[in-house]
Amino acid sequence: MSRDGTVCWLPIPSLDSASLFGSMLDAEKGGHFALAPDEPFEVSRRYLTDTNVLETTFKTSTGTARVIDAMTLQLEPDLAPFRELVRLVEGVDGSVRFVWTVQPRFGYGTETTRLSTRAGVSVFSSGNDAIALCTWDAGLASVGGGAVTGSFTVSAGSSTMLALAIAHQEPLVLPSRREVERRLERTVAYWRDWAEARPVRGRYRDAVVRSALALKLLVHSPTGAVAAAATTSLPEEVGGERNWDYRFSWVRDSAFVMEALLGLGCRDEAEAFFWWLMHASQITHPHLQVLYRLDGGANAKERTLPLDGYRGSRPVRIGNKAIDQRQLDIYGDLMQTAWLYAEAGYEVDREFGDRLAAIADLVTEIWARPDAGIWEVRSEFEYFTQSKMLCWVALDRAIRLATAGHIPSLHVDRWTAAARDVRAFIEERCWSTEKRSYTRVADGEDLDASVLLGARLGYVDASDDRLTSTIDALVGELGDGPYLYRYLSEDGLRGGEGAFLCCSFWLVEVLAQAGRLDEATSLMDGLVELANDVGLYAEEIDPESGAFLGNFPQGLTHLALLTAAAAIDRGGAAR
Amino acid sequence: MSVWGALVGGFVGTLVLTTILRAASELRITRVDLPFLLGTMVTGDRKRAKALGYVLHFFFGLSFALGYLAIFSALGYAGWLAGAVLGVLHAAFSSTALVNVLLPVVHPRMGDPSTSADRVALLEAPGFLMLNYGIATPLVMLVAHVAYGAIVGGFIAM
Repeated sequence: MSRDGTVCWLPIPSLDSASLFGSMLDAEKGGHFALAPDEPFEVSRRYLTDTNVLETTFKTSTGTARVIDAMTLQLEPDLAPFRELVRLVEGVDGSVRFVWTVQPRFGYGTETTRLSTRAGVSVFSSGNDAIALCTWDAGLASVGGGAVTGSFTVSAGSSTMLALAIAHQEPLVLPSRREVERRLERTVAYWRDWAEARPVRGRYRDAVVRSALALKLLVHSPTGAVAAAATTSLPEEVGGERNWDYRFSWVRDSAFVMEALLGLGCRDEAEAFFWWLMHASQITHPHLQVLYRLDGGANAKERTLPLDGYRGSRPVRIGNKAIDQRQLDIYGDLMQTAWLYAEAGYEVDREFGDRLAAIADLVTEIWARPDAGIWEVRSEFEYFTQSKMLCWVALDRAIRLATAGHIPSLHVDRWTAAARDVRAFIEERCWSTEKRSYTRVADGEDLDASVLLGARLGYVDASDDRLTSTIDALVGELGDGPYLYRYLSEDGLRGGEGAFLCCSFWLVEVLAQAGRLDEATSLMDGLVELANDVGLYAEEIDPESGAFLGNFPQGLTHLALLTAAAAIDRGGAAR
Repeated sequence: MSVWGALVGGFVGTLVLTTILRAASELRITRVDLPFLLGTMVTGDRKRAKALGYVLHFFFGLSFALGYLAIFSALGYAGWLAGAVLGVLHAAFSSTALVNVLLPVVHPRMGDPSTSADRVALLEAPGFLMLNYGIATPLVMLVAHVAYGAIVGGFIAM
């Protein structure tokens, strides 16, 4: 949703489906649903407290009105549309004249959209998808150019409603206004109850609840997978080529996901996510893919779309070639996820246990190989320090799981020996005596914020001098106020990028772990201020302009916020 | 043609079908696990689900064999080839409607594409042709069901 009241991105039926509205990526071909005053206005936005329902308030010279936007939930067994987007316009004072346009373009704007009228309702259709535009008091609609437009005036006390009833592989369900209003009310109540049930208190309560609500929407409900972000091809550099599709679930994020879900008391989601992860990775066992599709599929062929791209940032990609990369750090993420799952009291059954043990065996064989690293560089493979640290984490957690009886312990000696070798490699070849820091790659001098992940997972003890000096070196070389670049080295792609927001939150967490709580809190305060007007974050930020870069909202940034806030809470409690 | 022939054929056919699916899973061709899908309809405990799932799987295997018998009785002919043809239809029906559409609707732990944010599913749905469980799953299902059909048809004809 853009600040001018336009729905500019909506994939249907799922987050990783083709878009119905995609004007974010191509204003002409993408399709949109615009709803705004027809005269100059000031706008302010917020989520209705503790919900995923957006309120946009427009002030014009003649009055004030607010628009409530929601994807409603099917909370009752009554017949509801497959998906439903509701836009309720309420007059606050004076009167405001609104104009609206609904111009869907199926299949990322590449498929033919048919527009017809059935029983007075405008219906857009393409293939096995269809949308009915249901309006109440929204003015006479006019049809042209594959779009439906209209205008109406609201004044204090009056309201207007527009709803898109969406059908996928089934006939359309056409709701009444009363039914839509009831679903909207219940949706608001559901989100408030959900937020209330989260055990969140303390200094960063609002930011944590907002991140939790955003995370909940990144959960693919049909399977339990958690998407990395809700969009594709929002650029890491405006006008550049670093435009990726993030609508997949990355194994890299799994440990964060599990920690965050358990911390938020979302036990059903945590269990579903672990089951999904283990089922999805079954077909590639014991090897792991970098990412899996939300439905559990193991293919994500990358291709480009004939769209202009966000502010001319081409190519627009769907699919993700990173799926074919070799990344060794993900084995550590998976084993940490399993460890958190087992520690939380869930049973790791024999099949899962055997597979986890086999994965630990694999790590003993492959840890010394070069890889593409957590950042999925498209240059030559390197011996990334963070990958080695996470291989150590994989072996360490395997030993813990075996010791606790969750997985077979037959090869613990082998894992112990390999963990010793990995540590020796890192300490000898991934440490710069000149910079007094862990380096980006073995025998290199460049730095990389991802080594903070090794620290947060216990590779380096919080009291270790090497951790303290690494933190200082990273801040000195990669820091820019509250911002932290992930690295400044070559990565095989043209152009630059912004500061990585999750890295700043990782720094908060590691500072808190190291007992530098004042620094952690100060940095966290600054980071919380960087959220957009509704409390959401993208992947990166331009330190000069403060503009977000990359896909949005970005799961990893919100996950890092959640774990950083928890670390500060733990640190505060320990004082 | 006899009920006993159908039941013995159904048992042996289910045994072979299960073996083919399990072998394909071990060879990492597919992630499909029919007993597990059936068992988790009754319990969320993975161990019990698998054990119970095999009982249900054989129950359905025998039931389908009786369905085959009814069709052969109506046709007045039975044989392994006719059984294999029925197996093709069986695989197509299972992958497109029975397991793809019906199972997610009645399965308490499985989501379907309409599942909204207030719910979270524990099990991924099979999807069209069960492709969510691996790109070769339709082929594996076809081979397994043709084998099942041929065996059931053969036993019924004996």
